[in-house]
Amino acid sequence: MIGSILAAKIDFIQVSTLGLRLVPTLSSLTEHCSDELADDLGALVRAIERLSSAVNGGQTNRHDLLNAVAAVKGYSEMLLDSADEALIPVRDQVDEIASALSQTSQTPESLPATSRALDSLTGCSILVVDDLPENLDLMSRLLQKMDCDVITANSGRDALSMLAERPVDIVLLDLVMPDIGGREVLARIKADEQLRALPVIMISGQQDMDHIIDCIQIGADDYLLKPVNSVLLNARIKSGIERKRWHDKEEQYREQLEKREQFIRQTFGRYISDAIVEEILEKPEGLKLGGDLRNVTLMMSDIRRFTTLVEHLPPEQVVLLLNRYLGKMTDIILHHGGTIDEFLGDAVLAAFGAPSESDHHAEQAVNCAIEMQSAMADINAMNADDGLPHLEMAIALNTGEVVAGNIGSERRSKYGFVGHQVNVTSRIEDDALPNEILISEQTLQAIDNDVFEVGDSRTLNAKGMEGLLTVYPVIGVNLNG
Amino acid sequence: MASSTVLLVEDNDINRDMLTRRLTRAGLTVMTATDGASALDAMREHQPGVVLMDMTLPVLSGWEATAKAKSDPSVAAIPIIALTAHAMAADRERAMNAGCSDYETKPIDFPALLSKIYLFLGANNT
Repeated sequence: MIGSILAAKIDFIQVSTLGLRLVPTLSSLTEHCSDELADDLGALVRAIERLSSAVNGGQTNRHDLLNAVAAVKGYSEMLLDSADEALIPVRDQVDEIASALSQTSQTPESLPATSRALDSLTGCSILVVDDLPENLDLMSRLLQKMDCDVITANSGRDALSMLAERPVDIVLLDLVMPDIGGREVLARIKADEQLRALPVIMISGQQDMDHIIDCIQIGADDYLLKPVNSVLLNARIKSGIERKRWHDKEEQYREQLEKREQFIRQTFGRYISDAIVEEILEKPEGLKLGGDLRNVTLMMSDIRRFTTLVEHLPPEQVVLLLNRYLGKMTDIILHHGGTIDEFLGDAVLAAFGAPSESDHHAEQAVNCAIEMQSAMADINAMNADDGLPHLEMAIALNTGEVVAGNIGSERRSKYGFVGHQVNVTSRIEDDALPNEILISEQTLQAIDNDVFEVGDSRTLNAKGMEGLLTVYPVIGVNLNG
Repeated sequence: MASSTVLLVEDNDINRDMLTRRLTRAGLTVMTATDGASALDAMREHQPGVVLMDMTLPVLSGWEATAKAKSDPSVAAIPIIALTAHAMAADRERAMNAGCSDYETKPIDFPALLSKIYLFLGANNT
């Protein structure tokens, strides 16, 4: 630290000596030139005097020193910008002062603050894209001084193919290039899912400001004007890379969330519909115990005489048979918007109309049951090929109010349905014949009678339930209805 | 509607003079203020197109003045370019967090500063 302050001061002493030596000449010039130029020259003289007193007066206040340096540099550059012929005699000396000061300010080590502030760019990989070899060379030198790992491309096409091959931390992109120009390269980077987050700094001349604005609008992170100032370059690269790191962190976090989401989907997705998974993912507070009174259509299905059928089968055959059957039924039920509450051996309890509400849950359920019954032909064909028994399924549907929600204890709960209507459905299921879809009076009232055709009603004596149950077999769908 | 005036807030007389000259030569209309409090007054009264704010100012520092400007709806939209004496990443972040639209370090890279000013004035007018 102390070393660098001293180093900086020594540079300023040299500059102020140069300046003081020039002061008499500058003053003499003011006598035969325009008022405006005289004024500017006077200002430079005052600034040089300020710098010299800051340096020699033992001032160690960095702020004052920097202000003095900034003023001398600024006035010098301003004079150099002027085309006034009266300046010709001092042009070279003024240039010497201005460039000595730019060098001082451009060498990061020469300013005390910079040496400790900027983390090094060591090891950062930077792609520099420019069609002019001398620009590529200059940039490479500047960047190598910052210990960056530099790769270069001399055309937009080259740059894009390099980016496709290896990752870099940041791209410095020349705006004006033949063939694929900087704007187009930028647009392609920003349109590419893999590359989108890559920071891009546009490099251009002052005259291209309009294009730069355009580039920033389509996603350039920053820009630098030619000739490129190395301090700015360092700062811009660093901030670009920092932004990228934040982005990567964000990305990592998002990936973790996604993994968690996938885990939930995989764990529950086999048993409950996407609708519930969505609901769980969207509002975790929905996982708390409790429920709503909901009007739903309940479905209960099973394989008739299943236990007897599989009595003599080895366990793995039973599992194959069940998985084939339940897998197919699960797909169909979820496809029709049903929620599977439970598998009990070969039996399935599902509901339509919860958790996501539906005005057509009874019709959804009947359509679903019809598809389930039709699917049995395929399942039985496969079973026959594997020497497995022929299965016959019965389905019962019933519509009414149940409590729907997360039921159970804190440690183990699931989205499910409870209530008297579940028992009623079970009672109907008991009476359903093989290959039959048996629906309750309430379900019949909820569906469109022009579409679904039902057979003669039957009356069930429901043990333990008041009164008798009237049920109907679904015998067809009138597709023209 | 947006003004093309640049408000330069700088307490150091010689730098204020130097930057005023250079900005004026570049064709810009320049107003000056020498401390954070008068900068805020000038922003409210004159609605400049962009503000160049030295961050180490008397009375009210550039940091405080920027924070106040950004919480005042009448001037919050005026872009502020921070002028800091340090090429410190922390200062850059601090300036951005304070609500500055951009920053430049002293000694000023004049062409870079100018291009930023044009950028902000241009953005105002479109």
